[in-house]
Amino acid sequence: MRVARYLALSMAAVLFLIPFYLVLRNGLATEQEITAPTWTFWPSEIRWENFAELFSNPAVPMVRSMVNSLVVAVLQTFGQLLLCGLAGYGLARIPYRYANVVLYLVIATLMIPAAVTFVPTFVVVSTLGWVSDLRGLVIPGLFSGFTTFLFRQYFLNFPRELEEAARIDGLGHWGTYWRVVVPNSKGFFAALGVIAFVTSWNQFLWPLVIAQDQDSWTVQVALSTFLTSQSIDVVQLFLAAAVSITPLVVVFVALQRFLVRGVTETGIKD
Amino acid sequence: MRHGRAFWLFVGPFAIGLLVFVYVPIAWSLLLSFFDARNTVTPTEFVGLRNYVDMLTDAPFLRSLGTFSVFAAFIVPLTFVLALALALLVNQISFMKAFFRSVFFLPTACSYVVASLVWKLSIFNGVRFGLANTVLGWFGAEPIAWTVSTSPPWYWLVLVTLRLWLQLGFYMILFIAGLQRIPQHLYEAAWIDGASRGWQTLRYITLPQLRTTSVAVLLLLLIAAYQAFDEFYNVLGTDRGYPPFARPPLIYLYYTALGSGGQDFGHGSAGAVILTLLIAGVTLLQGRVITR
Amino acid sequence: MISRRRLLSLAGASALLAACGSNTGRGGNGQALKQWYHAYGEPGVQQAVERYAKSYTKTQVDVQWNPGDYDSKLATSLLSDGGPDVFESTPQISSVRAGQLVPLDDVFGDAKSDFSESILATHTVDGKIYGVPQAVDMQMLFYRKSFFDQAGVRPPSTVDELIDASRRLTKGGVKGLFAGNDGGGGVLGGPALWSAGLDYVRDHQVGFDDPVAAQAIGKLRELYTSDSLLLGAVKDWAEPDAFTQGLVAMQWTGLWTVPAIQKALGDDFGVLPFPKLTGNGKPSVPVGAFGAMVNAKSKRINEAKEFVRWLWIERTDHQEDFNLSYGFHIPPRKSIAGKASKLTSGAAADAVKFVQDNAKASNPPDWTSVMRTAFNDAVSRVVRDGAPADAEIKGAAQKARDELKRLYG
Repeated sequence: MRVARYLALSMAAVLFLIPFYLVLRNGLATEQEITAPTWTFWPSEIRWENFAELFSNPAVPMVRSMVNSLVVAVLQTFGQLLLCGLAGYGLARIPYRYANVVLYLVIATLMIPAAVTFVPTFVVVSTLGWVSDLRGLVIPGLFSGFTTFLFRQYFLNFPRELEEAARIDGLGHWGTYWRVVVPNSKGFFAALGVIAFVTSWNQFLWPLVIAQDQDSWTVQVALSTFLTSQSIDVVQLFLAAAVSITPLVVVFVALQRFLVRGVTETGIKD
Repeated sequence: MRHGRAFWLFVGPFAIGLLVFVYVPIAWSLLLSFFDARNTVTPTEFVGLRNYVDMLTDAPFLRSLGTFSVFAAFIVPLTFVLALALALLVNQISFMKAFFRSVFFLPTACSYVVASLVWKLSIFNGVRFGLANTVLGWFGAEPIAWTVSTSPPWYWLVLVTLRLWLQLGFYMILFIAGLQRIPQHLYEAAWIDGASRGWQTLRYITLPQLRTTSVAVLLLLLIAAYQAFDEFYNVLGTDRGYPPFARPPLIYLYYTALGSGGQDFGHGSAGAVILTLLIAGVTLLQGRVITR
Repeated sequence: MISRRRLLSLAGASALLAACGSNTGRGGNGQALKQWYHAYGEPGVQQAVERYAKSYTKTQVDVQWNPGDYDSKLATSLLSDGGPDVFESTPQISSVRAGQLVPLDDVFGDAKSDFSESILATHTVDGKIYGVPQAVDMQMLFYRKSFFDQAGVRPPSTVDELIDASRRLTKGGVKGLFAGNDGGGGVLGGPALWSAGLDYVRDHQVGFDDPVAAQAIGKLRELYTSDSLLLGAVKDWAEPDAFTQGLVAMQWTGLWTVPAIQKALGDDFGVLPFPKLTGNGKPSVPVGAFGAMVNAKSKRINEAKEFVRWLWIERTDHQEDFNLSYGFHIPPRKSIAGKASKLTSGAAADAVKFVQDNAKASNPPDWTSVMRTAFNDAVSRVVRDGAPADAEIKGAAQKARDELKRLYG
């Protein structure tokens, strides 16, 4: 039984890792090698020059776009945790006549595909003058109904005793939130933070349209230049893909324990 | 009164943003759906329900809604069962647990663009040096044009495996979290009562205890299935547009509203409203059936 | 460049970024004209158009290079106030009717007669010209002479000969023809109509509402089921790789691939238009030209027009450089095309001749996205799914008729 379990898991793991293997193999080989009729499992000679060529390609500013993505993802992550965390707490814990109305409005946004409201959103943002601007890339993505909903569910289950102790010490809602609730919820904040970071890093359609100036491209937009240019260089394309996922893979492997613990604490159970 | 002020202190900043960046665009789209809005988002010609009538009688749009209802009926249970299976397997082992969990979760780090690239250009390309065709070649089979062939429709294999690879890990984590919340004493009590360790505990303890997680997972999967866009667009789309097979509703609406040679926001928005209502309807129905 | 400066300071990685350089070299403040291009694949084009813009002294011009889905991005931006002042595209009747474009007839002056009439026609809507053609692109059939000789096959002059040639040239690892990863339905739909003497739209009427159209599209199905097409190549029809790697004996692709093919195959290739179907039909090549246009929402329409006039009409040297120094295009001005030595021999000379004799507009202004989607869907279903051609074509024609009625009454 145990052997069967490990066998099944190992087979699944191999299947899951194949795409990563392909990205690396294709990114480090020569084009002749990966288009050869017989399969080569690993490039006979790893072409490290591919990195130099990728990073010096003037048409695709890899370094700058990675930095842009990083800045956008960090700001969006912290912005979401701040705004959605506060809102989620308010919705969960502060009794107010219209709280339910606000809650339904938040949940309703989950059903409506963003692609649908895409053009009006662009017009709103461009009216504010935020095209090709960091504000346009970051701010519209801060108001995630999904994150707020998850925060609310989580705070509903937050131990009331802790909050009541804070209340006795004379803290109001604001003080309780910052001094007691947040410090006791680090794991959950970390879990939602990782999810927000990944979502932000991987978003494509919005940055494509809003980040018009080449200096404001994110890494996904840079990747798409490869995909759509009339003369795609397959090797560079895969190498760029490998480079673009590296930061996330590192973050994941480092934080995944945190993530599971954080999700365990979510309110998804209610 | 004091509560009101505190509430808005917490919720206000988020609510203002939600209003400006989410609800204004939603209201705007809704408005557009009642106008003849070609190449403009400030239309003047009110047409009542005509756009809705047009979309509800538009064969490609209806076909697309039909196809993706079938797709949802297929991919939702499949993803659900496989994610649960992975979660159960990973949760039961102790050696190398973190390793397996990481491996299955890792694809979540990849964007749809990256995954589509690997699937389209490296695994399922139609020439001999594609991975799938290489493997077929070892068994002496002819190469298959995976993303082109419509009989049999191999492109579904491409799209479904891609989606599973990208999504399974995330839902597996949700299930693992759910499993870890199940109190151990329930299992112990069941074993004392003579339940077998395999099927019976799964059937009578694990699954009922996972019910709330399951409802959330099903909801998310269902919305994701109807809102499919990215991998379809990147795998099957070409510079000549998108083929009339496996065309997600959102892609059809995307080309209606933003296609080259005519942007029709009236019909695009009306279609979006119809899609949203369909998603809401199916979600409610699913909720009914499960919590029955 | 506000965004860049902001990103710099926030990233705290100025040293890293400084190494990347800037693509304009000037700090913009909203005073510059914004000019948009889609992302050309050939190396050097981006630098060239930036150089042109920089050498314009009357107004500052910032060039923006747009990778990805250019059409959607442009369409979205033209709706807002933040769009470009000058951009390249092909005019569409819907944009003109919605008042998004500025007529440019007065920009041409005496030079109008120097532009190829058929190209100007594709930039004319309701009698006014909306784009100054920058570069002419065309597609044609490339074939390997040596493969044909070995198989004893003559270059096809009818559609049936093309199908027969494709079959006979398929052997071993070599396929007869590559016409796109969708099996040819995307790029050959138009040529199939033209091969039967039909068209997309003709004098404000549907041009393919004819039983012969079903027959012509049926030929594409025959080709698709002949087992002689290459399908699912890594790079699509727009790139020459399948042809230069010897995976196929023929490929449908564009003029822009000529330099790469010459480099790989030397003289061992020839070019043909898409052949005629029968006696009534004609061989054809799809032709299109991006033109420079002015956004009606621009706050500086006159300066934008003046810049377009300077760049694409006054500075004939720029047009020459743009067309001939990087990829391979035909200059839309006859005087420049006539003296281009690159275009006087070999495949390029053939291409010029095809454009003169057999040109068909690949993207006419009144071929709207509704009609295109309906037609492409129909072709795709016939070719790849074996749907009955006459019913599918009839359905598409009906959609097109409704749309044309809406446009022209």
